[in-house]
Amino acid sequence: MSFDIDKLAEKTENLSIDPVYDTNWCDMPTEIKRECIGKMEINERLSLRCTAKAERSLVDSQKINIRRCDIHGTPPFTQYVSLTSGIESTHRFRSANEQFKFMKYIWKVGVFENLYISLCQLAFKEEFIDYSGKISAKSIEFDYCDEEMILAVLKNTENNIKSITMNAQGRRTYPFDEILATSQVQNANYWHIEYHQQTDALYKVAQIDGSFAEFLEHFADRIVSESEKRVRISTKNPDRHILLERGLDDVVQVHYFPQYFRLLVISANMNESEYDDNCKQWILKMEPEFYVDDPDNH
Amino acid sequence: MSSTEQGTSSAAPAEPTTAPESAAAPEVPESFYYVHGKDKVVHKVSAGALQHSALIHGMISNLGYTEEQAKANPFPFENIDGDILQMVVDWCNQHKGKPTPPEDTNLPKQKEKLFDLVLAVNYLEIKELLTYCCKQVAMMVKGKSPEEIREIWMIPTDAEDEAAEKEAKKRAGKEAAGETAAAAGDAK
Repeated sequence: MSFDIDKLAEKTENLSIDPVYDTNWCDMPTEIKRECIGKMEINERLSLRCTAKAERSLVDSQKINIRRCDIHGTPPFTQYVSLTSGIESTHRFRSANEQFKFMKYIWKVGVFENLYISLCQLAFKEEFIDYSGKISAKSIEFDYCDEEMILAVLKNTENNIKSITMNAQGRRTYPFDEILATSQVQNANYWHIEYHQQTDALYKVAQIDGSFAEFLEHFADRIVSESEKRVRISTKNPDRHILLERGLDDVVQVHYFPQYFRLLVISANMNESEYDDNCKQWILKMEPEFYVDDPDNH
Repeated sequence: MSSTEQGTSSAAPAEPTTAPESAAAPEVPESFYYVHGKDKVVHKVSAGALQHSALIHGMISNLGYTEEQAKANPFPFENIDGDILQMVVDWCNQHKGKPTPPEDTNLPKQKEKLFDLVLAVNYLEIKELLTYCCKQVAMMVKGKSPEEIREIWMIPTDAEDEAAEKEAKKRAGKEAAGETAAAAGDAK
């Protein structure tokens, strides 16, 4: 017992010699400051990092989850970054350089759920190509970005994107070989190409050219099953099949335009009874406003 | 200093109050420990309440002792102000054996007390309370500009920092020169 009491005395003695605390932010240990910064919203972090160099480096060392980040860069009209973590904040800029400086900070600290990029300025492209930091995003949507910009952004993105959406409207050529070859696209669960018919996207993705009927014709020797809605083909991998589905329901009927397609890699053992007949869900993902007038939607 | 069922605060530790016994089964008597801060006021706290503090819990878990020994050897936290330690003890008592709520609205709003509390809680390793406190610190600067934050938290500007650093170097240089001169004088 005396041993225990000696130990206790020794411990309490050690406690007694610690310094008396001061009570200011500047006297807080770094780990506490980090913890506090971790509880701040983006605007407060931005303000704090402008107070002093030391605070800036601390703020920059803390990651922040950002639900949505919209980057618009079409000067002089729409040059801003809008961020939503807890609350939404919009940051406007007078120059591409100023905006890119801000974006570099945001990319460094941000872990994005959804990242929307609409940039068509040469200055941005050059900055992106030179940028060596990594962007962490679950979902990226490119709008009004040319292929070089898309490639530059993808090159700088962590390899764990779940969903990539890009718009091919108005493009005569699209370097799908290069985009498809990026590990980000290869590993994404979902790759969505709006206006794919203006490109050779389907051909590149599933080695086909053109429409549903052409898909059938092209893979005639590999067809496992076919219907109005689906074509299932075998692949070189005996464990995997590819399913091309056409979105058809009470609203989207056979002669409806536009037509909606999706390609799925499925298990070769999957039964037809396991098919997902609810195309509304994935059409809405492509076009969120599509079923607005549908009475069943209310 | 107030007395509660789990904790008693006094200059001399008081006898523990006995909790009403359950009719179903006899309860194992709860053990109590004693802590004091800078003001030497001793707080009697149950082992259950002290479980929130990883530091104290770690210290007491290997110590077999009697009530008398615990009373005779209160844990001295000389680095914690008495009123801050009181807050910590109260919080531990209030949250003894209970799941901690997502928010704690009873934390002090005054800057000095809050920072003192943060440091004490960090020292005592009370994780949940530290989370609340840090949230409260973050709330202090909600919607504030860099200038306002600098003022609220007394953050020196880079220029002030550099000037202070220069001054400190200058002072250190002078002191070193003085020491060298004194040593040379002693050698003579």
